[in-house]
Parts: sequence; structure tokens; C-alpha cells
Amino acid sequence: MSTTKHLESLNKKSALSQFLISFTWLIFLGSTAVTIFNFSNFPTWNLGSYFQINGFSMLLWSVVSFFSAIVQMYASNYMKGFKRKQSFLLYCIVFSFAVMGFVISVHVVLMVLFWLFMGLIMAKLIGIDSEWKEAQHASKFARLNYLGGVFFFALSVALLVCSTGSFNKNEILASLEGVPQWITIVAALCLIVSAIIQSAIFPFHRWLLSAMTSPTPASALMHAGFVNGSGILLALFAPLLFSANLLLLIFIIGGLTAIIAQFSKLMQVNVKQKLACSTIAQMSFMVMQCGLGFFTAAVTHLILHGFYKAFLFLSAGEEIKNSLPTKPDIMVIKPLQTIIVAISAVLGGLIFGYVTGKGVGLDSGLFLTFIVAITVGQVVYNVLNQGALGATQKLLITPLLIIAGIGVYALIYNGVTVLMQDMPMVNVPITLTAIHVVFGIVFLIAFYIMLSGVYRKVPWLYVKLMNISQPVSKSIVYFKSK
Amino acid sequence: MTKQEQISISIEAASQRIGTTWPLYSFVTSNPLSGYEKLPFEDAVQEAARFLKSNAYPSAAIFKQAFDNNDIDCTVLEAMLKAHKLSQTAEAYLNIMQKEELTTPKKVTSNLDVIMAKWLAAFMDEGLAEWQMPNKEKGFYQSWKALAIYDKDFGNLKVEDLPKTSFEALELVLSKQEVYNYNIIFSTHIGALPGWTGYIKHRIATNSIWQQQFPITIEDYLAVRLTIAYHLGIPLEMDTTVSPNVNISQLKHIWLKAWEATFQNKLVSDLKQDQITGVTKVEKSQLPEAQLVFCIDTRSELIRRHVEAAGFYETYGYAGFFGIAADYQHYQEDISIKSCPPIVGSPYKITENPGEVLTQKVTDFKADKKIGKAKKHILTRLKNMLPSSFGFVEGAGAFYGLSLVAQSFASSSYFKIKNRNKHNYESFCEPIISYNGGDKNEQDITLNEKVGIVKSGFDLMGWDSFAPLVIFAGHGSHTANNPFGSSLDCGACAASPGRHNARLLATLANDKAVRDVLKTTYQIHIPEDTVFVGAEHNTTTDEIIIFDAHVPASHVPRLAVLKENLKKAQETATSERLKVASGSVELAIKKSQNWGETRPEWGLAKNAAFIVGARSLTSRMNLDGRCFLHSYNWKKDPKGAALAGIMGGPMVVTQWINNHYYFSTIDNNKFGGGTKITHNITGQFGVVQGNGGDLKMGLPLQSLKASDTEMYHQPLRLTTIINAPLERVETILKSNKHLQMLLDNEWMYLKVIDSTDSNIFKTYSKGFNWLSETTTVLKQKIDKVESLEMVAH
Ligand SMILES: [Zn+2]
Repeated sequence: MSTTKHLESLNKKSALSQFLISFTWLIFLGSTAVTIFNFSNFPTWNLGSYFQINGFSMLLWSVVSFFSAIVQMYASNYMKGFKRKQSFLLYCIVFSFAVMGFVISVHVVLMVLFWLFMGLIMAKLIGIDSEWKEAQHASKFARLNYLGGVFFFALSVALLVCSTGSFNKNEILASLEGVPQWITIVAALCLIVSAIIQSAIFPFHRWLLSAMTSPTPASALMHAGFVNGSGILLALFAPLLFSANLLLLIFIIGGLTAIIAQFSKLMQVNVKQKLACSTIAQMSFMVMQCGLGFFTAAVTHLILHGFYKAFLFLSAGEEIKNSLPTKPDIMVIKPLQTIIVAISAVLGGLIFGYVTGKGVGLDSGLFLTFIVAITVGQVVYNVLNQGALGATQKLLITPLLIIAGIGVYALIYNGVTVLMQDMPMVNVPITLTAIHVVFGIVFLIAFYIMLSGVYRKVPWLYVKLMNISQPVSKSIVYFKSK
Repeated sequence: MTKQEQISISIEAASQRIGTTWPLYSFVTSNPLSGYEKLPFEDAVQEAARFLKSNAYPSAAIFKQAFDNNDIDCTVLEAMLKAHKLSQTAEAYLNIMQKEELTTPKKVTSNLDVIMAKWLAAFMDEGLAEWQMPNKEKGFYQSWKALAIYDKDFGNLKVEDLPKTSFEALELVLSKQEVYNYNIIFSTHIGALPGWTGYIKHRIATNSIWQQQFPITIEDYLAVRLTIAYHLGIPLEMDTTVSPNVNISQLKHIWLKAWEATFQNKLVSDLKQDQITGVTKVEKSQLPEAQLVFCIDTRSELIRRHVEAAGFYETYGYAGFFGIAADYQHYQEDISIKSCPPIVGSPYKITENPGEVLTQKVTDFKADKKIGKAKKHILTRLKNMLPSSFGFVEGAGAFYGLSLVAQSFASSSYFKIKNRNKHNYESFCEPIISYNGGDKNEQDITLNEKVGIVKSGFDLMGWDSFAPLVIFAGHGSHTANNPFGSSLDCGACAASPGRHNARLLATLANDKAVRDVLKTTYQIHIPEDTVFVGAEHNTTTDEIIIFDAHVPASHVPRLAVLKENLKKAQETATSERLKVASGSVELAIKKSQNWGETRPEWGLAKNAAFIVGARSLTSRMNLDGRCFLHSYNWKKDPKGAALAGIMGGPMVVTQWINNHYYFSTIDNNKFGGGTKITHNITGQFGVVQGNGGDLKMGLPLQSLKASDTEMYHQPLRLTTIINAPLERVETILKSNKHLQMLLDNEWMYLKVIDSTDSNIFKTYSKGFNWLSETTTVLKQKIDKVESLEMVAH
């Protein structure tokens, strides 16, 4: 191709990308229309004993096709001139199909196969630059993790198939009562391992931190549409977790990783690693929500987090700034402020409880309300402490922010709950135990440590967290081929 | 000599082997091999290859494209090959070069690099991390030492194992080494991560505020690195034996020279044509409607051509900092940035003055600024804090979803909404100049200095007479989501937009007192009705924004006509640049606002020549954005002072730019930035590829190539062409050893259009041997070939 032709091609989208993008948007429009049309009373359509379409699967079709289309639109410009641009776009669409196939499958073999596809394609995207040795290492490493995840998932369903004699997920879940307890527990444990590998939760977080060799739009897809697979997986198998009685374990795994990852995020000096640590923390929180019995909240979280993280990845080029060194903030809070903060936190919690129906009784929902209350308190505290804002501005901004935030969240959460109403055990608050209370206190302590900045004075913690959040060495510098 | 001195001297010498890495917020395109300039180009690139493991010449693929495109004249090439007793065909040699490149990358000792990169990135961070590396204020070695005992990457160190100072650490690890080995050891270890060590050099050279608060030295770097190597059991002497194929290097050098000669021959013959036609043109009888001054930047060549075509306008080329050696401080910002070439100091400072009366605009601006800061602060807190980060994502997630849609489908509306509160303070502020470091309110600089700034501009450009409107147009780029944005800004302003300097020069030239002195002391008569106005050429969209808040009513109609014509020029210029027949302006705007655009504009790519002379020399030529143009009139510069200024300043800066483009193109991963699509911003000032590793030091692939394989910038060394008396040029060269060295070592070429010898082209060659015939001979050869080809067709 002559140089002029090349330059001309830089001005327009290729025919392939135009086709794929329109096609993906069509899927989005179609599934969204179906979702909205059947919203309040979504029927269940079965295609043999292989596939099943319901509110939940259509919701996820909309979400996945949305992210996929946005990413493809971005990539069709961003990847111009990249020798594997076409493969990239095709991988994107095939990946979306894999996710869509997974969420409508009820035959467990199909589920495992789609789960495998998702991983294999994601590994391909990480190593899409085939001449870059470090990328090949990162890809290999990620694939190894995913294969591990597939193995545990397969093991889990194999156990269930053997003991129930059915290959249909719904039938399996309906006949769990007859399965010996130890099998349920082992199967659930395998499922949990598979889930936390997908969501890069400690100790399987390394693959995500080593995955920056993928082009930026692939990272957006990964963080918005791949890592949150655990939320979907756990929601689909919620009855298994209940009958194995392992929710508390999930809650603890999520809670611990959330704290570690959030602290690790603070020390990251590379934008994409910082985003990755944030993703790990958010995924852990999602897993925690599962552990509290609120699978619907987890699904809501994974959708909203997808928006958030996709946006941040796609605009990760904005982080160059000429800045001056600043001293860390020192927390000053006057008595009157304390009262205002406390009152608004309680108020925020109450509004949240009222509009979402969570946390009104003495159950695990209280924990989520507690998180919201602290967030509201944080918002109020920070707005109050802004010298730049006038009193009227503060008085206007604060309630507006809180009501808009909680209101929009409640709207989406309630929508998701309605769409998932036919799924078993996805919105069942569990009894509040001592462990929940302990974790509530742990969160408060972590919150205090962060706010006061005492962690800055602990050098060994800095080194520890720094080292556990490093990518795999061979994926950083190995051959120096780039 | 003490051990300390020996070590320091060796470090000093070794750090010359790497270039300087500039932060991306002020990305100066400089020669990455500036430390090798005292060597002939051929030797320098080999020497660098040894320590940096870099390429020296374009790849065979690039040569092939140039050859297929007839950018390398076959006749010229084969003549040159024959002169070196190489008698095969060009194609045969292309094959030989191609075969040579088929080697796989070598595995290197990487563990050391991984650990070093980790600590360097942590230490040098400029505010990306909320939790900074502890004890940073004690310097790199000390803060590392305090943490090393917890780092299990290289065994269990105890505090006693680590010497007190970096010097003692070096002394310890070097105890078994001979002194003469120091240089080579230091060089290889500094050269192992040239991006990071180059940034240490930059911090030391500029003594930035980050360096003042958190000092780091090359000695620190070496102490940490060699100590780690010592504990990992890695031998200090690293492999520096690359076996460069001498024949291939020589071959490539010939190819490069043939390519350069082809370009030069074409340029010279075009210039001659233009001179011939130029003579026949009618002497201008009346003043142009307006005169516009643009930066010498290669992008100005295009816009100047189109502005001239849009009306009766005269254009000039002048270094884009407009002769004002100053730092600039944005209105209501704490930071001041350099706004003149890095090789020049900044005795002055430009600030913005909103005037005595506080207007509504000023109050609004300040309020918005404050709210913006508050918003950012609150958002950061909510995102970072536990557990509000979870609540925040749930509450704000939907709004991010809307932003995704807006960015993808309505980038221009998104852009407008995002910047809705952004007022251009140019509409109510006036730039003022003061001494740098002083109190800006009291130290108004002396009248003489102001006059000097204005006068030197007119002197250097060889200005004749003044039109009623004179526009000084600085330039800046406007791109979205682009870490390399500043690389597209004005190189003469240390990679910031040049509009502030332009506005200041206009203000000074409008000053009545300045004009009086110019008239009485220097006989420069600026007519009463001439108004100077600052402007900005937006190089991404080719729009020219005029800062006309202070233009008197008498000139408004004239300005309105000019603005209309500039719009026309924008249309034709973008159409030529983007190679589309219609909708070019919209396309350019889209490229500047699209967050997924990696090639919003081409910057200075394709640059190859620097022409110093009157516009009449080139006014009829389409130079295709490949030339820097500096206005100069030798008749108005009898003492040669102006020319000395041009050769000592802009000529060196253009060589920096040109060499940067050369090396970034021939080894994009080493000297450039690699591809943008896998960049990962580090520390708010730089990028790394993928998961980390070395800091990237140069331009990204998307600024240089049309695709992964297709070349856009042609890696040619700069050819400077000066229209002046030969003797004058020679005198200046003899007193400027640096320039002489650059020319003797072939880091650039020089041709003089000798005005004392009927404007004959004379080419500099080592030791002041001016060649005047070669080019004509070659030109005849080209003509002959072309006529033969015509016959053949
Ligand atoms: Zn410039």
C-alpha cells in the first residue's frame, strides 16, 4: 500500500470495524429492548436443555455488548496502523459472544467451555503483540491462571453432575438437598477458587497486575467485562453456596483482599497498576456482597464498576501533569463538624435502607448500609472542609450529591433485583454474626488508619505491599525487546 | 587523586553516554546522543550501540520504502557505492541488509533492571501515588537503604550490610576493581536503563522542585544498583561486546547519505528554479494588508503558504519564543513553566495582569478555578479512601456510563460540557514581564531591555516596513487524552504553547515608550496606525485564534477581514494536510477531540531542512512541511550579529529536533517511546511500556510512522541553507566551536547561497572546504536520468 493510501486510511474507519461496531450496537439495542419490554415480569425461555434466556441473561447481554461496542469504537481509532488491529476487533467480538454464551447456558459442559473461551481470548488479548516477549510471558501467565480457574470450575460441576446425575444447572441446584454435605462443600470450594481467580483476588491477583501488556482498550474490556466474572458465577450458583454454608468464607476472603488492595492502590506509581489495584479492591467488595447474600447487589456493583473502570482506562492518557510536591492532608475535624458528619451518615444510611430495602432489619444488609453511611460521612466531611466553597454552596452541593448518588444507585439496584427475581437465592440476607461485627470494626479501623495517615510511618508495610503488587518479573523486563 | 575523585570523574564521563529524558509535560525533542557529538556521526552511533544496545541506522525495510518511492535516487546511490568499491546493484545490497537484521533479541540480565526500575519509579514519582516512598526527602540512596532491609528480592540484608553513604557503598563494591575499569562499569550500568538515568540527569540539570525536595544523583543510582548486583551475585562487568557488522554499517551509512543527497539535490534545484522566477517578479509597490509572524516550526510552512494565498499578506518566520527568554506563569496557577529554548536561561518571567478594575470575568474565573480544585480534591479523597471508594463507585458509576456514551458519540459536546467553565483569561488579562525570581509587582524591567527585545525581533527577521496590522502567532497543539501532547507544542518554548510570548511581544511593540526609543535611537519607524496583536496557531486544527481584546476600534474591520481569510486558509491548509477534499476542518477538529485518537497531528515529522533567508526565496515552493523557515535579510545585518544569533540559537535547536526524530525513528523502542497503545503513565511525568521497565525517552511510534511498518518521517540529518555572504557565515562558524563540531562530524549539513558570489550554492565540508560544483553535477545527472526515463516511457 502506498503511503498516501495509508494516510487516507488514517482518516476513516475500516469496513470491518464499521460492520462489527454496528453489529455490536444492534445486539445491545436488541437485548436492551427485550429487557425493557419484559421488564416487570420477564419470562424464561428455554432452548432445549442447553440454553435459557431470562431477565438476568438479557441484562448481561446488554451490559457486555455495551462495553464491547464502546471499546471497539475506541479501538477502531486507537489501533490504527497496528498490525493486528483486525484480530483485535475480532477477538473483542468473539469474547463478547463467549460471555453472552456463558450467561445463557444451563448445560454445565457448555458453561465450562464458554468459561474456558473467555479466558483463552483474554490471554490472547494480553499477548496480542506477538513479537513482544514480555507480553508473551504476561499472556502465558494469565492463561495459566485462567486454566486453573477452568479446572476448578470443571471439577466443581463434575462433582455435582456425578452426585445429582444431571447436566442441567437448574436441575442440579434444585436437587442439592440429596447431595452429601461434603460433596457440596468441596464443589462450592472449587467454585469459589475458580471465581476468585477470575476476579484476581488475593492470592491470584498477579495475573491482573501483569496484564498491562494488552492495549488500553483491551484493558478496558478486561476490567469492565472479564474480571467481574466471579460475581456472575457466584450469583448463578448461589444455592450451592448457601447449602454448603460457605458465605462467611466468601465474605472474609473479599473483605481481607478489599483492604489489602485498597492500601496497595495508594502506593502505585503507574496509572494502569493503580487502576488494577482499585479493580481488585472493588471486585473484593463485590465478592463480599455475595458473601452477605446480596448477589443482586454484587451484580449491580459489577455493572457500575464496569462503567467506572472502562472510562478510567480509556482516558488513562490524561494523567500527565506538571505538579508541585504536596504534603499529605491532615485530618482536622471540629466538634460541630463531627455532629454534622455523624447525623448525615445516619441519614444517608436511612435513605439508602429505605430506597433499596436493604439493612432495614437486623441482618447482613446492615453491613452494606454501614458502608454507605461511612461514604456519606466522607462526602460531607470533605465538602465541609473545602475552604473554596461558600456556605450556601456546601448546603446545596452536599444533599444534591448524596441524593443523586443514592437515588441513581437505588434505581439501578432495584431494576437489577426485579430482573433477577426468578433466580433462586440471589437476594437473601443472612443473619448477622459476630464475624460481621468484627469485620465492621476492622473496616472502621482501616478507615481510621487511612484517614489519619499513620500507615505512612510503617516502612516495612510499604515494602510488603509494594512487592505483592508487582507484576511478574519476566513480564516487565526479560528480553528488552520493547 | 582520591578514590572519591576518581569515582566522580568516572561517573561524570559515563553519564555522557546517555541522553537526557524530558518529562512529558514539557517534552523537549533533544538529541539522545548529544554526549557523542564530539565524535563523527559514523563512530558515534557505533559507540552508542555498544552501550545502549541500540540501532545506528534505519532498517532495511525503511531503506526499501525510500528506494521504492524514489526518495533515494538510484544513480546517486550507485555512484556512491562505486566510490566505495561496492559494485553490486542496489537491490542486492538491500537483500544483504535485510538478512543481517534477522537476529532474535538477546536475553539480558534483567532481574537487576526489574528491581531498579521498581525503586526508581517509586522514588521519582511526581504525585501519582498518594502514599509516597518513605524518607524520600533524605535522597535516593538513604531512602532505599532504609527500605532495603525489608525487601526480600535479594536476600536478607541487615542494616550493618549497607554502607552509610552512596560513596562508601560504591567504594565497597568496587574494592576488587581496578580504577581503569570504573568508566566501563559505570557506563554499562547507566546505559542499562537509559530512560531512567536520563531523567535523573534532567532533574539534576534543571534542579526542579522535585529534585530540591527529593534529591537523586547518578552516584546514588549506581550505589543502589551495584549494591543490589553485589548481593545478587551478578558480576559488575556486563557484556559490551556487540559484534556490529562493519560492512553492514558502512553500507547503511552510504544508503543514508545517498538518501540525504537525493533530498538535497531536489531542494537545491527547486530553490534555484524559484530564484529564477523570483527575479522576474514585480517589485512590491504597496504594503500588505497585514503581516503575520509564525514560528520557524515546520508546520508553519504549510499555514504560511495558505495564509499568503488567502489574501494580500506577508509572512515571516521567527523562533516561536519571540526572543523573550522567560518563564511563564499561568493566571491563578502556582507553577511557572519554561517558555524559551532550554539552551537559553530565563532571566525574565511573564505573568498575567487582570488590570486594576476587577471585572465580573476575573471573579468568575477565580471562583471556577477554586471550585475545580475543590472538586478534584473531593473526588480523589472519595476514590482513595476505604470504604468510601466502594460507595463512590456505586453512586457515581452511572454517571461514568453516561460519560462513556458522550465521549463515544458526541466528543465535541462532551468537550464543550467538560470545558464549559473554562474562560480564556486572555480576554481580560494582559501579559507583563518582570525579572525572574523577583517581586513581579515592583520589578518592571527597564525600558531599554523592552526595546532590546522588540528590536532584536525586527533585526533578526530583517524587517522592512510595517503594515497596519502585525500578528505575532505562537503555536500550540490541542489534543485529547494524549500523554505526548506537549511534544506537539512549540519546541522554541521548551514544549509549551507560544501564545503568551507572542502576546507579550505584541504588548511591548504597542508600547508608546518603546516605539519612541526605537524611533529616536535606532531609526526604526513604526507608523502610528500599526497595531501588533498576539495570536495562536492551533497546529492540530490549523485555526488561528487572535487575542484581540485590546485592539482599537479603528482596526476592527481590518481584523474582521483577516479573520475571514484565516478561516479560508484553515480550510485549504487542513485539506492539504489531511488529504481530504471536503470536510477537512471538521475532520481536524474531530481528531483533536477524539479520546481514542493516537495521531491527532504529525508534529514536526518529515523535517529535513532549515532555510535561513527571505521569504521570496521560497514563496513559490511547496516545501511539504519539511522545512524550518527563518526570515533573514543579510543586507540589513552588516555586522552579522543577527545571523550569529540565528546560527547559535535556532540552528542548534533545529538540529536537536532533527536528531531526535532521526533516532526515535531508527530505533523507536530504544530512543523513542514505542507504540502508544500499550503505554502506561508513570509518576505523572513519563510513560513505560506495559508492566514497567525502563522509562521511555522519546517520541512514540504514532508520531513517526503511518503504521507499524509504513514510514512517515524520513530519518535524514538536517540540511541548513543560509542566504548570506559566505565570508560572514565562515566567520561565525569559526567563532562557534560547537557548530563547527556538529558540521565537521556530520550531525548536520550546511549549504550557503553565497550572496557575494551571484547566489551560488556552496556546501560545507570538513575544515571549511566549500564545494560548489558537486550539486550542479549531480543535478545534471538527475536531469539526464529523468529524460532517459521519459524516453523509456
Ligand atoms: Zn515553535
